[in-house]
Order: sequence, then C-alpha cells, then structure tokens
Amino acid sequence: MVNLYVLILAPLVGFLINGLMGKSLPKSVSGIISSFAVFVSFVISSIYFFGFVGGTQAPIDANVFDWITAGETKISFGLLLDQLSGLWLMIITGIGFLIHVYSIGYMHDDENFSRFFAYLNLFIFFMLLLVLGNNFLVMFIGWEGVGLCSYLLIGFWFKNQPYNDAAKKAFIMNRIGDLGFLIGMFLILFYFKTLNYGQLKEALASTQTSHGLLIAITMCLFVGAMGKSAQLPLYTWLPDAMAGPTPVSALIHAATMVTAGIFLIARANFLFSMAPETLSFIAGVGAVTALFAATIGVLQNDIKKVLAYSTVSQLGLMFLAMGVGAYTSGVFHVTTHAFFKACLFLGSGSVIHAMGGEQDIRNMGGLKKWMSITFITFLLSSIAIAGVPPFSGFFSKDEILAHVFEANKVLWVIGSLASFLTAFYMFRLVILTFFGSFRGTHEQEHHLHESPATITIPLVILAVLAVLGGLMGLPEFISHTHWLNSFLAPIFPHAEGHEHMAISTEFALMGLATALAVIGIGIAYSLYVSKQQLPAKEGELKGFAALVYDKYRVDELYNAVFVKPISALSSTLYTIVDKALIDGQLVEGTAGLSMQLGKRIRSLQSGNIGFYLLVMVVAISLILTYVFI
Amino acid sequence: MKTLTYTSLLGIFCMLAEILNLRKFIIPIALVALCVIGGLTYCDLNVHFEPFFSDMLRVDNFSTSFSLLLIVIAILLIALSYDFYTAQKDKISDYISIIIFTLCGALALVSFSNMTMFFIGLEVMSISFYILAGTNKREVRSNEAAMKYFLMGSFASGILLMGITLIYGASGSFNLATIAVYASGQNPDITFYIGIILVLVALLFKVSAVPFHFWAPDVYEGSPMLITALMATLGKVASFAAFYKLFAVCFVDAGSHFKLVIAIVVALTILVGNLSAIRQDSFKRMLAFSGVTNAGFMLFAILLPNENGGSALFFYAVAYALSSIAAFAIAIAVSKFSGSEKFDAFKGLAHKHPFSAILLTFAMISIAGIPPFAGFFAKYFILSSAIKGGYFWLAVFAIINSVVAFYYYFKVIIMMFSKPENEDSFSPNFVYITVASIAVLITIIAGFAPGVFFIH
Amino acid sequence: MSLVEITFLILSVIAIGSALMTVLSKNPIHSAIYLLICFSSIAGHYLLLNAQFLFIVHIIVYSGAIMVLFLTTLMLLNLNEETEQHKPAMARLGALVAAIILGLVLVAAVSKTATLMPMNNNTVDIGSIKALGKVLMDEYFYPFEFISILLLSAMVGVVLLTKKEKTTVA
Repeated sequence: MVNLYVLILAPLVGFLINGLMGKSLPKSVSGIISSFAVFVSFVISSIYFFGFVGGTQAPIDANVFDWITAGETKISFGLLLDQLSGLWLMIITGIGFLIHVYSIGYMHDDENFSRFFAYLNLFIFFMLLLVLGNNFLVMFIGWEGVGLCSYLLIGFWFKNQPYNDAAKKAFIMNRIGDLGFLIGMFLILFYFKTLNYGQLKEALASTQTSHGLLIAITMCLFVGAMGKSAQLPLYTWLPDAMAGPTPVSALIHAATMVTAGIFLIARANFLFSMAPETLSFIAGVGAVTALFAATIGVLQNDIKKVLAYSTVSQLGLMFLAMGVGAYTSGVFHVTTHAFFKACLFLGSGSVIHAMGGEQDIRNMGGLKKWMSITFITFLLSSIAIAGVPPFSGFFSKDEILAHVFEANKVLWVIGSLASFLTAFYMFRLVILTFFGSFRGTHEQEHHLHESPATITIPLVILAVLAVLGGLMGLPEFISHTHWLNSFLAPIFPHAEGHEHMAISTEFALMGLATALAVIGIGIAYSLYVSKQQLPAKEGELKGFAALVYDKYRVDELYNAVFVKPISALSSTLYTIVDKALIDGQLVEGTAGLSMQLGKRIRSLQSGNIGFYLLVMVVAISLILTYVFI
Repeated sequence: MKTLTYTSLLGIFCMLAEILNLRKFIIPIALVALCVIGGLTYCDLNVHFEPFFSDMLRVDNFSTSFSLLLIVIAILLIALSYDFYTAQKDKISDYISIIIFTLCGALALVSFSNMTMFFIGLEVMSISFYILAGTNKREVRSNEAAMKYFLMGSFASGILLMGITLIYGASGSFNLATIAVYASGQNPDITFYIGIILVLVALLFKVSAVPFHFWAPDVYEGSPMLITALMATLGKVASFAAFYKLFAVCFVDAGSHFKLVIAIVVALTILVGNLSAIRQDSFKRMLAFSGVTNAGFMLFAILLPNENGGSALFFYAVAYALSSIAAFAIAIAVSKFSGSEKFDAFKGLAHKHPFSAILLTFAMISIAGIPPFAGFFAKYFILSSAIKGGYFWLAVFAIINSVVAFYYYFKVIIMMFSKPENEDSFSPNFVYITVASIAVLITIIAGFAPGVFFIH
Repeated sequence: MSLVEITFLILSVIAIGSALMTVLSKNPIHSAIYLLICFSSIAGHYLLLNAQFLFIVHIIVYSGAIMVLFLTTLMLLNLNEETEQHKPAMARLGALVAAIILGLVLVAAVSKTATLMPMNNNTVDIGSIKALGKVLMDEYFYPFEFISILLLSAMVGVVLLTKKEKTTVA
C-alpha cells in the first residue's frame, strides 16, 4: 500500500514544488524534478504491472478512509488497483514520463517553464486518481481535476485570445458531459446506496433492478464519457484544444485524458453489459463519430488539426468496440493508439519547433532531408495508425472491426470506411510534410534543423512501441493465446465471442482491412506525389468539400442554437435588471457626488427602491392570492 | 443563554474600551474573549437545558452548533478587521463593538424560542448592518447601500411585525411551543396563515431570495468589503437558522400550504442568481449573486423538514460561510492592493503570490461544489434529501444550475492563473492569509469528515 | 350603539381618511400633517382598548418626536410640489394592480375569518403602566434587557457615522 501512496503522491509533490517555488528554481531543475516525480510513479507502476503479468500481484482494493459515515449512505475514499488500472497506469506514467522529458526540450524557451511542469504533474496526479479510485466519486474527482488541468494547459499561452476561447470552450463542453456523469452518479447512489464498483456489482447481481433505470444510469454516464472523450455531438472542443502546447496535445488530448471515457465504460462494464440498448447507442455514436471526424480530417491543413480529428475518429472506433461488447479490443486500441498518436503529436511538435511555429502543411514539404529521425518515427507511426500489418494499429483495429463485423454489418462498413479514410489522410499529411520540395519561406528553410535529443529520444521509444505494441494482442491463430485477453480476463469475464469466428472469415477481414489501408495510402501517394497536387487555398473549395473543410460548420450551428440564445437571455437580464435599473440609477447617483443629500435621497426613493418594493408587494400579493383564493 | 449574555457584555466592553484607552488591544481582547465564549458554548453541546427566562431562549444542539459557527465567523472577520481598519484607528472601538452587537443579534436568532426575542434579535442584527453598510462615508455607493438597505429592511421589518401580530392574534401567544401546538391543532384561523405568509416574506427578504433579493447585490457591492463578508456569511447563516426554526419546526404542520410557493422561490432564486452572476465583471458583485444562488440551495432545507434537515442546513451553512470568508479574505487583500474589485484585479495572482491564489482556488472550488471540499457534500446532502422528498425536478434543476455556476466561479481561477499584466510584487498582510487558510482548512476537514459537523 | 362604538367608528374614519390623504396629497408638508392626524386617531384607538401606556407613548414618540423630525427635515430640504417626480406609468399600473389584489385577498381572508381569540374583558387591567411594567420586568425581562443592545448599537452607529473624518491629504 505504501508503494501505491508514493505512486499517487509523487506527481502531487512535484506539482507542489514546482507550483510554490518554481519561480526560484532554475529551469533545468524544475524540469528534472517533475520528470523524476513521474518516473518514480512509472517505476512503481511497472513493479505492480509486471506483478500482475507474472501472476504474483493480487488486485488491491482498499478504503483509505471513510468520507461520509453518517446517514445510510457511506462513501469512502478508496483505491482499486487491478489489471485494468494497472494497464492504464503504465500508459499514463510511461508515456507521461516520455512527454515530460520531451517537454524539457520543447518548452525550454518558455518563460513559464515551471508553471507548465507544475500543471503537467498535477494532471498526472489527477489522472492517476481517476484510474485508481475504487468508486465513482474518486473517479469524478480525478475527472474534474484532469478537466481543470486540461483547461489550464489549453489556455497556457493565454496572450492569445482565441486560445483562451478554446480553453473556455473545452471547459464548457466538458461541463455538459460532467453534468451527465454527475446525474448518473446521483442515480446510482440514490438507488443502490453505494458508489463503490465492487459493491455496486454485488447489488446489481443480488437485486432486481428495473431495466429503465439501468438505461438511464448508463446513458447519463455515457454523456459524461462523450464530453471527455470528444464524441458527437460534444467533440468540437478537442480540435480547438490544439491551441495548447504540443506536448499537452500529445499527453492529454491524445494518449490519456480523452481515453477516460473508455476507461469509465471499461470500469463499469458490468453495468453497461446489463443495458444493451445503451451499448447499441454507444456503438452507433462511436461509428458515426469515427466516420464524421475522418471526413473532416481529409481536408484539414493544420498539422495538429489533422491529428486532432484523427484522434476523435480513433476514439469513435474505440467506443464502437465498447458498444459491441468487445471491451478488450477497445482497451487494446487505447493502448496502441496511445503509442502511435503520442508519437505523431510529438513528431508534429518537433516539426513545428523546426518550422518556428508554422503549423500549415501547405507551407511545409521535403522535411525528411533535414529531420530524418522525426521523419522516420512519424512515418512508422503513420503506418501503424493506417493499419498496415504487422504494425500495432493493424492488430487492434482489425480486432475491433472483426467484432463489429460479427455484431452489425452496417457499423462494420462505417468503421472500415473510417479506417480507409484514416490511411488516406495520414499519408496525405506525411507526404505533404516530409516529401516533395520545401514550400515555406527562405528564412524558415535556413532555420530547419533536427530537434535535440530530449525530443528525439522519446520519439524513437514511442515509435518502437508503435511498431511492436501489437504483440500484446496477437490474434489467437498466430500466437495461441491472445495475451491481453487473458490478462484482462478478470475484468471482462465473458466479453469475448471472437473465438467462434471462422478462421477464413477472419483472414478475409484482415485482408480486406489491409487492402483498404494500402489503397488509401496509394491514393494519397498518387495524388500528392505523382500528381504533385497541393491542397486548395482558402475559399477555393466548393460545395460539399467547402462544407467539410469548414468542419460541417458544427461550431456555427452550436453557436446559433445554444450559445446565442443563452447569452441573449443573460444579457437581457443584464441589461434590463442590472444596467437599466441598477446601474442606470447608480451611475446617475455617482455622477451627482456634489448634489445635495436631499436630492439624492429623493432620487433613490422614486427610483429603483420604489421598483424593488413594488416587486416585493406584487410577490406578496401573488403568494397570498395563491394560498387563499 | 450564557453565550448571548457574555457576547453582549463583550460588545459593551469594546464600546467602553475607547474611554479606557485600550484601543490598541481591542482586537486581541475581542478575539481571545470570543474564543473563550466559543469554548464555553462548545461545552453546552449535548447538555440538556431547561428553557431560560420564562422560555425566551432555548439552548439545544441546533442552537449551540449554529452559535459556534457564528462565533467562528465573527472571530475570522474581526481578525480581518485588524488590517482592514488600519487607516481608521480612532474608530476601531466603534467598529468592533458594532460587529459584536451584530453577533449578539445573530446569536439571538439561532436560540430564540419566543417571537419577541426573534424580532429583537433580527433588528439588532439588521440595524447594525444598516450602519456598517454606510461606514465608508466618502464613497457614494456606500451611502447609497446603507440608505437602500435601511429603507427596504424597514419595509421588511414592518411586514414581519405585522405577521407576528397576526400570529399572536390567532394563537394568543408569542411562545414558539404554544404556537406550534396551535399550528398543529384543528383548523388554525386564517389570520394565522396570513401571519405566517408575512413572516415568510420578511424572512425571504432577509435571506435575499428572489423576488425579494434586489437589495442584496446593491448593498453588498456598496458596502465596504469586510462588511459585505459579514452580511453574506453571518447575516445569512443566522437568518437561515431562524427561518429553519420557524418554518421547519414551529409552523411545520401549517406550512404544507406553502410548499409550492417555496419550491418556486427556490427555483427562481437559483436561476436568477446564477444568470445574473454570469455577466458580472466585479468579483464582489459576483459573490453577491452567488450568495443569492446559495440561498436558494439553503431554502431546500426549509422546503423539506425532516430529521436530518437541520444537519443538512448546518453543513451547508458551514461550507458556504467558510468558503465565502476565504474568498473574501483574499479578495480584500487583492482589492486593497490594486484598488479594484473587478475580476481583472486577480489577473496573474498565481504568479505574484501563489499561496493566496491556491487558497482562493480552493474556496471557489468548494463553493462551486466539487469534491472533496465541503461544498460538494453540502449540495449533495441538500439535493439527496430533495430527491427523497419528492422534488426530483427541482433537484435536477438545481444540479443543472450548479454546473452553470462553475463558469463564473472558474472565471476567477482563470484570471489568477493567467499572466500578470504588470510585475508588481504582491505581498498581502499575514492576517488575510491566516484567516483564509483557517477557513479553507475547515472546509477541507468538513469535506473529509462531514459527520463531525452533523447535529445529533 | 354604545358610546364606545360610536367613538370607534369616528376614530376609524379619521384614521383611514387621513392615511389616504397622507399618500395622496402632493405637498409633503400636508402629508406630514395628515400623518400626524392619523397617528393621533390611532392613539385614540389605544385608549379605547384601555392601553394607557401605549396611548401616551404613541403620542410622545410618534406624534411628538418623529413628526417633529419629519417636519424639520422636510423644511430643511425645502421640498414642494414642483420637485416631485412623476413615477413611470408601469410602476403606477403595477402598484394599482398590487393594491387591488392585496385588498381582495384581505377582504377574502377577513370574510373567512372565524372568531378571533376571545377578547379579554376590560375588567382585567392589561394596558396600564403598572401591569405592563410588571410583565416587562418579569416575564419579558430578557428581551427587555436585550433591547438595550439594540439601542446601544444604534447610538454607537450614530457616533460612528457622524464622527469627524480625519482629512488625509493624498
């Protein structure tokens, strides 16, 4: 247990050191302290993880202290470390550590260096809390905490107003999701008197629960997951969140925080399995999101935006897996996705770094000449995400699609289409960035260089993982046991229906997926290498393409439907009640500082106070009327 | 009983201290004395007392708990005045004695068992507030605040007095126990109901519930910040305790008629407070509207009298009052430094003085209702009893609103963590930091061990 | 009709009429005078109820002290008809509606009212100074003493608000 405490608290200590005295620390020290804090967590996580792998470690489920003991409800602050949280720990601390190291190089010129690391450490702390809680409340604390950190980090470069707006947007969208989570949590607490996963499981098994209630609870929780994991219709914040520094995008908005929604469903899989309607809904939302975001990704020109839409799309794929009950496959894809997407983001960071802040791929090209390590790692990760065997992305994606094929053919078509588009736009990105000739300014060309070792080493490690990550989930006809399946078996008891599938079907699906990926890559190659096409300039696109380029104008839609009416209501109240009645009088009053006291009193009396009293009297009359007549 | 008596004597002593040339020692003496009084009050917990003075006061665990909370609030705020009134040393005796008189009124409000004590307590508190609101004499807004508060407060007092008279006319007594017997008896007279409604209206005014809230933002904004804190915490908590004593205990059998009225007031209060708070750019005014919203939450306890209602209300009062004090303490320090009460004044606080930024962040998070701070559990207890009581729609409405409220609470946090506009170094007086730390510490303790704060 | 009832009716008419005139009259000074009449007639009611103490206090405090204060203030500020502002039509309408509703409710409530508490016969001496003093010093001793806090607070407040401010030159 002590180890577990150290694991959780190390990043918090790092945060406190950097947050409270970061200003007085030299930059190198503050970077090293926070990286070291995460490294400590990583080492302990590895010990636990390999304990689980070797079968020597039993799951830990302990209540640290009781939170509320009075009344019939009892909520404890408790921790749960089992295979599922162990796997997530490895992702968080492992990739987290690499990204910390990367950030030392990436952020070295930033004046708020120590603040950045303080936030990063705080984020790791909350993320650990999120996955390690043994009840929904602890998860919710982590959930809110990571939301706050993400918000702070998106707006890290607050000098830029759009960045602040992006941060605000992320925050508000997440609040909508959190509302769902909160209501779901209240419902669980109200009907089952517990928030503990284990106790909830027992309560569900022992008592007859109405089906409608289960659907309501799971739907509410899923709304929470939608917000955090950027699913339709709450996805628009994620692309905007790319305003944050690139390591943040890699850590929070690709590898860890956005997968919290998947984690929630995986953790509460026993609950979701009892509500098949919700699962179908999740699958539908996931599939549509996957395709929708992929189509947008095809026409984006900002290197990070492409990756962001790709993340949304991949998350959709994961939800699709969760929705058809293939929990292991979903978790598998989370893992491999964390590897290659983190690598891609860090690679893009390296490129942006070299280009001096330029993010538009139309102004890049031919970079492989200058940045060979970045190029190779980026390429490998792109192959992985495109789903070419035997790279990691192939296995996880194929597994998901095979499960989906079994469950629902329509969803399978959508999913395959999305992954075909993924292959296409990823290679469009690779080709436009690294091949051809340089299209930027001379000054930029002069400046081009490979990034320092703190940046390239994490890239290389992640690229290796992106290539080899598939080994943990090799299909059974290759390696006899699906390792991840057996590892996670205690968490997902009877989730697998995959075994019954004919090997021939499986091979056919694999072949088809590979073919689609290769075709996608081929189209990208022929368009951008053979024909040397360049993406259209602003405003040149027409019709549907223009709509897609504008991200289907969803933001504008939300703006018109939700934001404007609410802010109109608020400003009406503001102008009528506050400005006209209060300030109007107040300003008048303030101007008359030299006026006679008598005049002032009179103007007060005949002005707003009269109105206030009038409202009071009307209210009294109404109450009396209601009660007596 | 002794709490109220000793506090009154302390107030008189502070008033006379000026004559005795003890000006310098007033605050330390007052703090120590209040601590002693608090300790004596604490000893009253779980002791059964007979009614005092022909049943004018009743001391039970409810009144003792609330008295303790009020004393803690007073101690923290008087400690703040140490620095707040540095420029007006010659008036310190007056300030402190009036603040302590306010506390006396508040203490009477939590322990009365007779309508006369109730009314006098309310008036002692209110009149002291009217004066304190106007103490910033050179500031027009302060004059205006005092004037407005006084006029509207007298109006409410008039209504209250009329209500008490009608209740007396119907039931023939000022005594709460007798009135309760009458209320639960056969067919109380209709004048009795009118009386209850008038008392209800007056109390809704005092706790600033919509549509009787109009005075609150103006008065809170115009008054000196320390007094705003006093009104928003001490005043509100005491009024709610009295509200609870009357409507959830005394009139409870006759009160079923007004359930829907109170429910609508709750909904309106939460909604209007929230929507108005969103657009504010003054931190103080935002806190004023947030006080309105929180009043809506506390009204739930009035709406749903049950055996845990008192505990839920008390816990909410603790969470709200202490978080607010922490917020006010930092805000006073900041506004004293920058001369502004707008959100902009907080810009970059995290860089200039990280510790105070963290304290304010905690306070905001607690008011917003995010675990593990007390504010979350406070909302949770209130809302879960609302759901149990059959007000599911109202609870959902309140949850939605509290999520909306995150927006304006976090606005300050964002400001603090963004880049400072200038490089002025900011070092607040240790008093502010100490008070805010103590307040935040209590909210954290309350968040981790809510059971301690339950009234048994 | 007994003499008491006739007196009651006369006093009531005077009270209501002068109260209305207080509100309706345009001249603040006239308003104040009407208010004085209203107070006096209410004092008469107290006397009818055998509440001598209240009667005396009411005359001294309201008709005496407070009215003098009102009139002095009004004269100091030199208010007259011309300076009265016209209230917005909406406010007037709202006030009218509120008044009508309130009146209706009161009428409805009173018409439903059963007999009130049986009135104490005047044989019992409840309103005299002697009886009141006994009650105040016995049953209501604590509130009676507590009021001193109210008065102290108000007094200190007056001192605080009128104390000369040290002029600090910035």
